[in-house]
Amino acid sequence: MGIEVKNLTKIYGEKKVLDNISFKVKDGEILAIVGFSGSGKSTVLKLISNLVEKDEGEIITSEGDIAFVFQYSALFDSLTVYDNIAFALHERKDLKKNFTEKEIAKIVKEKLELVGLKGIENLYPSELSGGMQKRVSFARAIVTEPEVILYDEPTAGLDPIASTLIEDYILRLRNETKATSIVVTHQMSTIKRTADKVIMLYDGKIVFSGTPDELENSGNEYTKQFVEASIEGPMKILA
Amino acid sequence: MELYKQVLKQTVTYRLFSSIIDNIKDFSETMGNITICGIKTLKAVIKGEMSLKELIEQCERFGISSLPITLSIVGMTTIIIVSQIAQEMVKQGGGNMVGALVSILMVRELGVIMSGFAIISMIGSSLASEIATMRVTEQIDALRTLKVNPFGYLFAPRVLAGMIMMPPVVIISSLLGVIMGAVTSNMVSGLSYRAFFDSLWLGIFAKDLFVCIAKAFFFGGTIALISCSFGFHAKGGAKGVGLATTGAVVWSFVAIVIIDMIFAIGFFF
Repeated sequence: MGIEVKNLTKIYGEKKVLDNISFKVKDGEILAIVGFSGSGKSTVLKLISNLVEKDEGEIITSEGDIAFVFQYSALFDSLTVYDNIAFALHERKDLKKNFTEKEIAKIVKEKLELVGLKGIENLYPSELSGGMQKRVSFARAIVTEPEVILYDEPTAGLDPIASTLIEDYILRLRNETKATSIVVTHQMSTIKRTADKVIMLYDGKIVFSGTPDELENSGNEYTKQFVEASIEGPMKILA
Repeated sequence: MELYKQVLKQTVTYRLFSSIIDNIKDFSETMGNITICGIKTLKAVIKGEMSLKELIEQCERFGISSLPITLSIVGMTTIIIVSQIAQEMVKQGGGNMVGALVSILMVRELGVIMSGFAIISMIGSSLASEIATMRVTEQIDALRTLKVNPFGYLFAPRVLAGMIMMPPVVIISSLLGVIMGAVTSNMVSGLSYRAFFDSLWLGIFAKDLFVCIAKAFFFGGTIALISCSFGFHAKGGAKGVGLATTGAVVWSFVAIVIIDMIFAIGFFF
Protein backbone atom coordinates (compact mmCIF):
# COMPACT_ATOMS: atom_id res chain seq x y z
CA MET A 1 0.00 0.00 0.00
CA GLY A 2 2.70 2.51 0.96
CA ILE A 3 1.73 6.17 0.81
CA GLU A 4 -0.08 8.07 -1.90
CA VAL A 5 -0.42 11.84 -1.79
CA LYS A 6 -2.77 13.43 -4.31
CA ASN A 7 -3.07 17.16 -5.03
CA LEU A 8 -2.12 18.16 -1.51
CA THR A 9 -2.41 21.83 -0.59
CA LYS A 10 -1.72 23.51 2.73
CA ILE A 11 -2.10 27.21 3.43
CA TYR A 12 -0.84 28.98 6.58
CA GLY A 13 -2.38 32.44 6.80
CA GLU A 14 -1.86 33.87 3.34
CA LYS A 15 1.10 31.65 2.44
CA LYS A 16 0.59 28.53 0.35
CA VAL A 17 3.14 26.22 1.97
CA LEU A 18 2.22 23.26 -0.26
CA ASP A 19 0.70 23.84 -3.65
CA ASN A 20 -1.10 20.89 -5.19
CA ILE A 21 1.66 18.30 -4.77
CA SER A 22 1.30 14.60 -5.60
CA PHE A 23 3.67 11.68 -5.08
CA LYS A 24 3.64 7.98 -4.31
CA VAL A 25 5.87 5.83 -2.09
CA LYS A 26 5.72 2.08 -2.64
CA ASP A 27 5.48 -0.42 0.21
CA GLY A 28 8.82 -0.74 2.03
CA GLU A 29 10.41 2.06 0.00
CA ILE A 30 12.33 5.02 1.47
CA LEU A 31 11.53 8.41 -0.01
CA ALA A 32 13.72 11.40 0.77
CA ILE A 33 12.15 14.85 0.66
CA VAL A 34 14.72 17.56 0.16
CA GLY A 35 14.69 21.29 -0.25
CA PHE A 36 15.85 24.45 1.43
CA SER A 37 14.42 25.63 4.76
CA GLY A 38 10.83 26.81 4.54
CA SER A 39 10.06 24.79 1.40
CA GLY A 40 7.29 22.78 3.11
CA LYS A 41 9.14 19.49 3.74
CA SER A 42 8.20 19.07 7.40
CA THR A 43 4.64 20.15 6.64
CA VAL A 44 4.26 17.10 4.36
CA LEU A 45 5.17 14.82 7.28
CA LYS A 46 2.84 16.66 9.66
CA LEU A 47 -0.01 16.31 7.18
CA ILE A 48 0.60 12.58 6.66
CA SER A 49 0.69 12.01 10.43
CA ASN A 50 -2.43 14.17 10.99
CA LEU A 51 -0.60 16.66 13.19
CA VAL A 52 -1.97 19.41 10.96
CA GLU A 53 -5.07 19.37 8.79
CA LYS A 54 -4.84 19.61 5.04
CA ASP A 55 -6.69 22.29 3.12
CA GLU A 56 -7.09 20.29 -0.08
CA GLY A 57 -6.08 16.94 -1.50
CA GLU A 58 -5.94 13.36 -0.38
CA ILE A 59 -3.48 11.23 1.60
CA ILE A 60 -3.82 7.46 1.37
CA THR A 61 -1.67 5.31 3.67
CA SER A 62 -1.56 1.76 4.97
CA GLU A 63 -4.09 1.08 7.72
CA GLY A 64 -1.48 0.48 10.43
CA ASP A 65 0.28 2.95 12.68
CA ILE A 66 2.25 5.91 11.40
CA ALA A 67 5.38 6.59 13.48
CA PHE A 68 7.04 9.98 13.61
CA VAL A 69 10.68 10.63 14.51
CA PHE A 70 11.03 14.30 15.44
CA GLN A 71 13.92 16.56 14.51
CA TYR A 72 14.90 17.14 18.15
CA SER A 73 13.74 13.69 19.29
CA ALA A 74 10.81 15.07 21.38
CA LEU A 75 11.41 12.49 24.12
CA PHE A 76 9.30 12.98 27.25
CA ASP A 77 11.93 14.60 29.46
CA SER A 78 10.24 13.72 32.75
CA LEU A 79 10.21 9.99 31.90
CA THR A 80 13.06 7.49 31.78
CA VAL A 81 14.19 5.87 28.54
CA TYR A 82 12.18 2.77 29.50
CA ASP A 83 8.99 4.75 30.09
CA ASN A 84 9.52 6.72 26.88
CA ILE A 85 9.76 3.57 24.78
CA ALA A 86 6.97 1.80 26.65
CA PHE A 87 4.78 4.92 26.59
CA ALA A 88 2.32 3.82 23.90
CA LEU A 89 2.04 0.34 25.47
CA HIS A 90 1.31 1.85 28.88
CA GLU A 91 -0.98 4.70 27.85
CA ARG A 92 -2.68 3.89 24.55
CA LYS A 93 -6.24 2.83 25.15
CA ASP A 94 -6.21 0.04 22.53
CA LEU A 95 -2.84 -1.36 23.62
CA LYS A 96 -2.49 -0.98 27.37
CA LYS A 97 -4.49 -4.06 28.28
CA ASN A 98 -2.71 -6.30 25.76
CA PHE A 99 0.67 -6.51 27.50
CA THR A 100 1.94 -7.48 30.93
CA GLU A 101 4.79 -5.42 32.39
CA LYS A 102 7.12 -8.36 31.79
CA GLU A 103 6.20 -8.42 28.09
CA ILE A 104 6.61 -4.66 27.85
CA ALA A 105 10.08 -4.91 29.42
CA LYS A 106 11.02 -7.53 26.81
CA ILE A 107 9.75 -5.37 23.93
CA VAL A 108 11.60 -2.30 25.24
CA LYS A 109 14.82 -4.31 25.49
CA GLU A 110 14.39 -5.65 21.95
CA LYS A 111 13.71 -2.23 20.45
CA LEU A 112 16.66 -0.69 22.28
CA GLU A 113 18.93 -3.45 20.98
CA LEU A 114 17.61 -2.87 17.47
CA VAL A 115 18.93 0.70 17.64
CA GLY A 116 22.21 -0.44 19.20
CA LEU A 117 21.58 0.60 22.79
CA LYS A 118 21.73 -1.48 25.94
CA GLY A 119 21.39 -0.91 29.69
CA ILE A 120 20.17 2.70 29.49
CA GLU A 121 16.56 1.99 30.46
CA ASN A 122 16.78 3.88 33.74
CA LEU A 123 18.45 7.00 32.38
CA TYR A 124 16.57 10.21 31.59
CA PRO A 125 16.78 11.82 28.11
CA SER A 126 18.89 14.70 29.49
CA GLU A 127 21.57 12.16 30.44
CA LEU A 128 21.98 10.98 26.83
CA SER A 129 23.93 12.42 23.89
CA GLY A 130 22.04 13.85 20.89
CA GLY A 131 22.68 10.73 18.82
CA MET A 132 21.50 8.44 21.62
CA GLN A 133 18.36 10.52 22.12
CA LYS A 134 17.65 10.18 18.44
CA ARG A 135 18.07 6.40 18.59
CA VAL A 136 15.79 6.20 21.64
CA SER A 137 13.21 8.15 19.65
CA PHE A 138 13.58 5.56 16.85
CA ALA A 139 12.94 2.81 19.40
CA ARG A 140 9.89 4.66 20.75
CA ALA A 141 8.55 5.13 17.22
CA ILE A 142 8.77 1.46 16.25
CA VAL A 143 7.36 0.01 19.48
CA THR A 144 3.87 -0.23 17.94
CA GLU A 145 5.16 -1.99 14.78
CA PRO A 146 4.20 0.86 12.43
CA GLU A 147 3.54 0.46 8.71
CA VAL A 148 4.90 3.93 7.98
CA ILE A 149 7.84 5.76 9.59
CA LEU A 150 8.33 9.48 9.07
CA TYR A 151 11.73 10.99 9.89
CA ASP A 152 11.99 14.77 10.26
CA GLU A 153 15.64 15.72 9.66
CA PRO A 154 17.00 12.71 11.58
CA THR A 155 20.65 13.74 11.27
CA ALA A 156 20.22 17.45 12.07
CA GLY A 157 22.69 18.66 14.68
CA LEU A 158 24.69 15.42 14.77
CA ASP A 159 28.38 14.97 13.98
CA PRO A 160 29.26 13.06 10.75
CA ILE A 161 29.89 9.75 12.51
CA ALA A 162 26.66 9.92 14.52
CA SER A 163 24.88 10.87 11.27
CA THR A 164 26.26 7.79 9.50
CA LEU A 165 25.10 5.64 12.41
CA ILE A 166 21.60 7.13 12.22
CA GLU A 167 21.50 6.54 8.46
CA ASP A 168 22.45 2.89 9.08
CA TYR A 169 19.62 2.56 11.59
CA ILE A 170 17.11 4.04 9.15
CA LEU A 171 18.05 1.29 6.69
CA ARG A 172 18.09 -1.34 9.43
CA LEU A 173 14.62 -0.35 10.65
CA ARG A 174 13.27 -0.51 7.12
CA ASN A 175 14.74 -3.97 6.67
CA GLU A 176 13.49 -5.22 10.05
CA THR A 177 10.04 -3.63 10.06
CA LYS A 178 9.38 -3.51 6.27
CA ALA A 179 7.85 -0.11 6.93
CA THR A 180 7.42 2.51 4.22
CA SER A 181 9.53 5.52 5.17
CA ILE A 182 9.82 9.19 4.35
CA VAL A 183 12.97 11.04 5.38
CA VAL A 184 13.06 14.83 5.33
CA THR A 185 16.66 15.93 5.09
CA HIS A 186 19.11 18.53 3.83
CA GLN A 187 22.08 16.18 3.85
CA MET A 188 23.35 14.58 0.64
CA SER A 189 24.93 11.72 2.61
CA THR A 190 21.55 10.80 4.11
CA ILE A 191 19.90 10.93 0.69
CA LYS A 192 22.59 8.80 -0.98
CA ARG A 193 22.85 6.22 1.79
CA THR A 194 19.18 5.73 2.62
CA ALA A 195 16.78 6.82 -0.11
CA ASP A 196 15.31 4.80 -2.96
CA LYS A 197 13.62 7.86 -4.39
CA VAL A 198 13.91 11.61 -3.89
CA ILE A 199 11.57 14.52 -4.40
CA MET A 200 12.66 18.11 -4.10
CA LEU A 201 10.34 20.87 -2.94
CA TYR A 202 10.65 24.55 -3.60
CA ASP A 203 8.04 27.17 -2.85
CA GLY A 204 5.46 24.49 -2.07
CA LYS A 205 5.88 22.66 -5.40
CA ILE A 206 7.76 19.53 -6.45
CA VAL A 207 10.61 20.71 -8.68
CA PHE A 208 12.35 17.33 -9.01
CA SER A 209 11.43 13.67 -8.65
CA GLY A 210 13.83 10.81 -9.27
CA THR A 211 16.53 8.61 -7.77
CA PRO A 212 19.45 9.87 -5.63
CA ASP A 213 21.78 9.39 -8.64
CA GLU A 214 19.48 11.43 -10.84
CA LEU A 215 19.39 14.15 -8.20
CA GLU A 216 23.15 14.48 -8.45
CA ASN A 217 23.47 14.16 -12.19
CA SER A 218 20.32 15.61 -13.74
CA GLY A 219 20.64 18.90 -15.53
CA ASN A 220 17.74 20.29 -13.46
CA GLU A 221 18.77 23.78 -12.36
CA TYR A 222 17.07 23.38 -8.97
CA THR A 223 18.85 20.14 -8.08
CA LYS A 224 22.13 21.54 -9.39
CA GLN A 225 21.84 24.50 -7.02
CA PHE A 226 20.91 22.18 -4.14
CA VAL A 227 23.71 19.66 -4.75
CA GLU A 228 26.30 22.42 -5.18
CA ALA A 229 24.86 24.28 -2.19
CA SER A 230 25.07 27.41 -4.28
CA ILE A 231 23.43 30.72 -3.48
CA GLU A 232 23.23 31.39 -7.22
CA GLY A 233 20.30 29.74 -8.98
CA PRO A 234 16.53 29.76 -9.37
CA MET A 235 15.87 29.20 -5.65
CA LYS A 236 15.84 32.20 -3.35
CA ILE A 237 17.36 31.31 -0.01
CA LEU A 238 14.76 31.76 2.73
CA ALA A 239 16.92 31.13 5.78
CA MET B 1 -6.70 58.40 0.63
CA GLU B 2 -3.64 56.29 1.53
CA LEU B 3 -2.07 59.26 3.33
CA TYR B 4 -5.32 59.88 5.17
CA LYS B 5 -5.34 56.26 6.38
CA GLN B 6 -1.74 56.54 7.55
CA VAL B 7 -2.45 59.74 9.49
CA LEU B 8 -5.59 58.19 10.99
CA LYS B 9 -3.56 55.20 12.21
CA GLN B 10 -1.24 57.54 14.11
CA THR B 11 -4.03 59.15 16.14
CA VAL B 12 -4.47 58.32 19.82
CA THR B 13 -8.18 57.52 19.34
CA TYR B 14 -7.47 55.03 16.55
CA ARG B 15 -4.73 53.35 18.57
CA LEU B 16 -6.93 53.23 21.65
CA PHE B 17 -9.82 51.62 19.77
CA SER B 18 -7.61 49.18 17.88
CA SER B 19 -6.01 48.19 21.18
CA ILE B 20 -9.47 47.62 22.71
CA ILE B 21 -10.50 45.52 19.69
CA ASP B 22 -7.27 43.48 19.91
CA ASN B 23 -7.90 42.87 23.61
CA ILE B 24 -11.48 41.76 22.93
CA LYS B 25 -10.19 39.37 20.23
CA ASP B 26 -7.53 37.96 22.60
CA PHE B 27 -10.11 37.59 25.37
CA SER B 28 -12.57 35.78 23.07
CA GLU B 29 -9.83 33.50 21.73
CA THR B 30 -8.65 32.60 25.24
CA MET B 31 -12.20 31.96 26.46
CA GLY B 32 -12.78 29.78 23.40
CA ASN B 33 -9.56 27.84 23.97
CA ILE B 34 -10.40 27.20 27.63
CA THR B 35 -13.96 26.11 26.79
CA ILE B 36 -12.83 23.75 24.02
CA CYS B 37 -10.15 22.27 26.29
CA GLY B 38 -12.78 21.77 29.01
CA ILE B 39 -15.11 19.94 26.62
CA LYS B 40 -12.32 17.75 25.22
CA THR B 41 -11.14 16.92 28.75
CA LEU B 42 -14.66 15.89 29.74
CA LYS B 43 -14.91 13.72 26.60
CA ALA B 44 -11.57 12.06 27.40
CA VAL B 45 -12.76 11.25 30.94
CA ILE B 46 -16.04 9.81 29.63
CA LYS B 47 -14.21 7.71 27.01
CA GLY B 48 -11.93 6.31 29.73
CA GLU B 49 -8.78 7.80 28.18
CA MET B 50 -7.48 9.26 31.43
CA SER B 51 -4.17 8.04 32.82
CA LEU B 52 -4.76 6.78 36.38
CA LYS B 53 -1.03 6.81 37.12
CA GLU B 54 -0.92 10.49 36.20
CA LEU B 55 -4.03 11.17 38.31
CA ILE B 56 -2.32 9.78 41.42
CA GLU B 57 0.84 11.80 40.73
CA GLN B 58 -1.15 14.98 40.17
CA CYS B 59 -3.21 14.44 43.35
CA GLU B 60 0.04 14.25 45.27
CA ARG B 61 1.25 17.42 43.56
CA PHE B 62 -1.97 19.35 44.27
CA GLY B 63 -2.51 18.06 47.77
CA ILE B 64 0.74 17.20 49.48
CA SER B 65 3.28 19.38 47.68
CA SER B 66 1.16 22.50 47.92
CA LEU B 67 0.19 22.07 51.58
CA PRO B 68 3.20 23.71 53.31
CA ILE B 69 2.97 26.93 51.28
CA THR B 70 -0.85 27.02 51.49
CA LEU B 71 -0.82 26.55 55.27
CA SER B 72 1.90 29.17 55.67
CA ILE B 73 -0.01 31.76 53.65
CA VAL B 74 -3.36 31.11 55.34
CA GLY B 75 -1.74 30.98 58.79
CA MET B 76 0.16 34.24 58.36
CA THR B 77 -2.81 36.06 56.81
CA THR B 78 -4.92 35.03 59.81
CA ILE B 79 -2.30 36.37 62.23
CA ILE B 80 -2.17 39.69 60.33
CA ILE B 81 -5.96 40.16 60.32
CA VAL B 82 -6.83 38.77 63.77
CA SER B 83 -4.03 40.71 65.51
CA GLN B 84 -5.69 43.90 64.28
CA ILE B 85 -9.38 43.10 64.87
CA ALA B 86 -9.28 41.04 68.09
CA GLN B 87 -7.84 43.83 70.23
CA GLU B 88 -10.40 46.34 68.91
CA MET B 89 -13.33 43.96 69.40
CA VAL B 90 -12.32 43.15 72.97
CA LYS B 91 -11.95 46.89 73.71
CA GLN B 92 -15.41 47.59 72.27
CA GLY B 93 -16.94 44.78 74.31
CA GLY B 94 -17.32 42.35 71.44
CA GLY B 95 -14.73 39.86 72.65
CA ASN B 96 -17.33 37.12 72.82
CA MET B 97 -17.84 37.39 69.04
CA VAL B 98 -14.20 37.13 67.92
CA GLY B 99 -14.44 33.37 67.40
CA ALA B 100 -17.60 33.75 65.32
CA LEU B 101 -16.01 36.45 63.17
CA VAL B 102 -12.85 34.41 62.58
CA SER B 103 -14.86 31.29 61.69
CA ILE B 104 -16.99 33.24 59.19
CA LEU B 105 -13.85 34.81 57.75
CA MET B 106 -12.00 31.50 57.43
CA VAL B 107 -14.78 29.17 56.28
CA ARG B 108 -16.58 31.54 53.95
CA GLU B 109 -13.70 33.43 52.38
CA LEU B 110 -10.15 33.56 53.63
CA GLY B 111 -9.38 29.84 53.78
CA VAL B 112 -10.58 29.12 50.29
CA ILE B 113 -9.43 32.27 48.52
CA MET B 114 -5.95 32.34 50.07
CA SER B 115 -5.54 28.61 49.35
CA GLY B 116 -6.62 29.36 45.77
CA PHE B 117 -3.98 32.07 45.44
CA ALA B 118 -1.32 29.76 46.90
CA ILE B 119 -2.31 26.92 44.53
CA ILE B 120 -2.24 29.28 41.52
CA SER B 121 1.22 30.59 42.30
CA MET B 122 2.67 27.20 43.14
CA ILE B 123 0.78 24.60 41.08
CA GLY B 124 -0.99 26.59 38.34
CA SER B 125 2.20 28.31 37.20
CA SER B 126 4.14 25.04 37.16
CA LEU B 127 1.36 23.25 35.23
CA ALA B 128 1.33 25.99 32.59
CA SER B 129 5.11 26.10 32.18
CA GLU B 130 5.39 22.28 32.13
CA ILE B 131 2.79 21.86 29.39
CA ALA B 132 4.06 24.91 27.46
CA THR B 133 7.56 23.39 27.46
CA MET B 134 6.08 20.13 26.20
CA ARG B 135 4.34 22.11 23.46
CA VAL B 136 7.41 24.02 22.25
CA THR B 137 9.64 20.92 22.35
CA GLU B 138 7.11 18.92 20.27
CA GLN B 139 6.39 16.49 23.13
CA ILE B 140 2.64 17.11 22.73
CA ASP B 141 2.95 16.35 19.00
CA ALA B 142 4.81 13.18 20.01
CA LEU B 143 1.87 12.20 22.24
CA ARG B 144 -0.48 12.59 19.30
CA THR B 145 1.70 10.58 16.92
CA LEU B 146 1.74 7.81 19.55
CA LYS B 147 -2.07 8.00 19.48
CA VAL B 148 -2.34 9.07 23.11
CA ASN B 149 -4.99 11.74 23.63
CA PRO B 150 -3.28 14.78 25.25
CA PHE B 151 -6.56 15.70 26.93
CA GLY B 152 -6.72 12.26 28.55
CA TYR B 153 -3.05 12.14 29.48
CA LEU B 154 -2.34 15.77 30.41
CA PHE B 155 -5.58 17.62 31.08
CA ALA B 156 -7.93 15.09 32.68
CA PRO B 157 -5.62 13.96 35.54
CA ARG B 158 -4.63 17.54 36.37
CA VAL B 159 -8.17 18.96 36.29
CA LEU B 160 -9.59 16.05 38.31
CA ALA B 161 -6.69 16.22 40.79
CA GLY B 162 -7.49 19.91 41.28
CA MET B 163 -11.16 19.15 41.93
CA ILE B 164 -10.39 16.23 44.27
CA MET B 165 -7.53 17.73 46.28
CA MET B 166 -8.50 21.37 46.62
CA PRO B 167 -11.38 20.74 49.11
CA PRO B 168 -9.19 18.85 51.66
CA VAL B 169 -6.44 21.47 51.27
CA VAL B 170 -8.99 24.22 51.98
CA ILE B 171 -10.49 22.35 54.96
CA ILE B 172 -7.06 21.81 56.52
CA SER B 173 -5.96 25.39 55.92
CA SER B 174 -9.26 26.80 57.26
CA LEU B 175 -8.84 24.68 60.40
CA LEU B 176 -5.32 25.99 60.82
CA GLY B 177 -6.65 29.51 60.28
CA VAL B 178 -9.18 29.09 63.09
CA ILE B 179 -6.51 27.70 65.44
CA MET B 180 -4.13 30.55 64.55
CA GLY B 181 -7.02 32.98 65.13
CA ALA B 182 -7.56 31.58 68.64
CA VAL B 183 -3.87 31.73 69.48
CA THR B 184 -3.45 35.26 68.06
CA SER B 185 -6.50 36.71 69.83
CA ASN B 186 -5.32 35.14 73.09
CA MET B 187 -1.87 36.64 72.68
CA VAL B 188 -2.86 40.15 71.57
CA SER B 189 -6.00 40.73 73.60
CA GLY B 190 -5.92 38.10 76.32
CA LEU B 191 -9.15 36.52 75.04
CA SER B 192 -9.50 33.08 76.56
CA TYR B 193 -9.55 30.02 74.31
CA ARG B 194 -12.86 29.02 75.84
CA ALA B 195 -14.49 32.37 74.97
CA PHE B 196 -13.09 32.11 71.44
CA PHE B 197 -14.29 28.55 70.81
CA ASP B 198 -17.67 29.12 72.51
CA SER B 199 -18.53 31.80 69.96
CA LEU B 200 -16.92 29.91 67.08
CA TRP B 201 -20.07 27.85 66.44
CA LEU B 202 -22.24 30.96 66.21
CA GLY B 203 -20.59 31.83 62.92
CA ILE B 204 -20.57 28.47 61.12
CA PHE B 205 -23.60 26.88 59.49
CA ALA B 206 -23.91 23.76 57.31
CA LYS B 207 -24.48 26.01 54.31
CA ASP B 208 -21.12 27.73 54.93
CA LEU B 209 -19.30 24.41 54.94
CA PHE B 210 -21.09 23.30 51.79
CA VAL B 211 -20.26 26.56 49.98
CA CYS B 212 -16.63 26.35 51.15
CA ILE B 213 -16.21 22.81 49.78
CA ALA B 214 -18.09 23.61 46.53
CA LYS B 215 -15.93 26.70 45.96
CA ALA B 216 -12.77 24.71 46.58
CA PHE B 217 -13.94 22.08 44.09
CA PHE B 218 -14.57 24.69 41.38
CA PHE B 219 -11.39 26.64 42.18
CA GLY B 220 -9.23 23.50 41.86
CA GLY B 221 -10.75 22.48 38.52
CA THR B 222 -10.68 26.02 37.13
CA ILE B 223 -7.05 26.69 38.08
CA ALA B 224 -5.92 23.40 36.52
CA LEU B 225 -8.00 23.83 33.35
CA ILE B 226 -6.86 27.43 32.74
CA SER B 227 -3.20 26.59 33.46
CA CYS B 228 -3.23 23.52 31.18
CA SER B 229 -5.02 25.44 28.44
CA PHE B 230 -2.48 28.29 28.48
CA GLY B 231 0.38 25.80 28.38
CA PHE B 232 -1.25 23.82 25.58
CA HIS B 233 -1.65 26.89 23.37
CA ALA B 234 1.88 28.23 23.96
CA LYS B 235 3.76 29.33 20.85
CA GLY B 236 7.41 29.95 20.14
CA GLY B 237 10.27 29.16 22.49
CA ALA B 238 11.24 30.39 25.95
CA LYS B 239 9.26 33.60 25.51
CA GLY B 240 6.14 31.57 24.68
CA VAL B 241 6.57 29.50 27.85
CA GLY B 242 6.90 32.69 29.91
CA LEU B 243 3.84 34.28 28.34
CA ALA B 244 1.79 31.12 28.86
CA THR B 245 2.77 30.98 32.54
CA THR B 246 1.96 34.66 33.13
CA GLY B 247 -1.35 34.31 31.28
CA ALA B 248 -2.29 31.24 33.31
CA VAL B 249 -1.57 32.98 36.63
CA VAL B 250 -3.42 36.20 35.73
CA TRP B 251 -6.46 34.42 34.28
CA SER B 252 -6.64 31.99 37.21
CA PHE B 253 -6.57 34.87 39.72
CA VAL B 254 -9.37 36.69 37.90
CA ALA B 255 -11.37 33.48 37.40
CA ILE B 256 -11.39 32.47 41.06
CA VAL B 257 -12.37 35.98 42.15
CA ILE B 258 -15.28 35.85 39.66
CA ILE B 259 -16.33 32.39 40.89
CA ASP B 260 -16.08 33.64 44.48
CA MET B 261 -18.29 36.60 43.62
CA ILE B 262 -20.87 34.33 41.95
CA PHE B 263 -20.99 32.15 45.09
CA ALA B 264 -21.25 35.23 47.34
CA ILE B 265 -24.16 36.61 45.30
CA GLY B 266 -25.81 33.20 44.95
CA PHE B 267 -25.65 32.15 48.60
CA PHE B 268 -25.22 35.19 50.81
CA PHE B 269 -26.76 38.14 48.98
